Amino acid sequence: MPADPELKSKVEEIIRDNEVLLFMKGVPEQPRCGFSMRVVQMLEQLGVEYGAVDVLPALDPLREATGEISDWRTFPQLYVKGDLVGGCDIVEEMFASGELAELLGVQQPAGAATPEPERLVPGGSQQSPPMQLS
Amino acid sequence: MADLAEIQRLIADSLPGAEVEVIDEGGGDHLRAVVSAPQFEGLSRIDQHRLVRAPVQHLMDDGTIHALSITSSTPGD
Repeated sequence: MPADPELKSKVEEIIRDNEVLLFMKGVPEQPRCGFSMRVVQMLEQLGVEYGAVDVLPALDPLREATGEISDWRTFPQLYVKGDLVGGCDIVEEMFASGELAELLGVQQPAGAATPEPERLVPGGSQQSPPMQLS
Repeated sequence: MADLAEIQRLIADSLPGAEVEVIDEGGGDHLRAVVSAPQFEGLSRIDQHRLVRAPVQHLMDDGTIHALSITSSTPGD
């Protein structure tokens, strides 16, 4: 199914207008997916400003739109300066290696560590204790 | 429940010469593909991942695979 042209141009606009943009399930204060939560935690550790778009209200239309724009149909998706960097696993690799800090023009935080995956059950965030998004 | 062997075959067939391992990381639909392929040489990570996803995209679209994590490398790494 082709993407709705109006939605697609809105998505292109928001990617262009936000230097760092995260498409995620849920919102940064309450991610609804473990993978989205991990990306949020890494961005928070790096202390960068970012825009976040909750994809859940329009999941399928947004899949079609990002599929056409970036050839990528799953979320989360992190865009930096208009380019798709990747989903959770690419972001984690780049966070751990310091490449993400470099790309974002910030200092690699001391003791940067990727969040423990076993604590973060995908889809189980509603049952999780309150998250520290310091 | 995804068929790991079938997914491995789909990825391997689309990347001749690649070493492909598919692991169930939970529940049968959260998978990780560990792929070392000569085709990755010179590509960004996102493009490497695109090559891995392409042959199984239909299984992600229909929900057979809920999440596919990818670890990609080139044989020389």
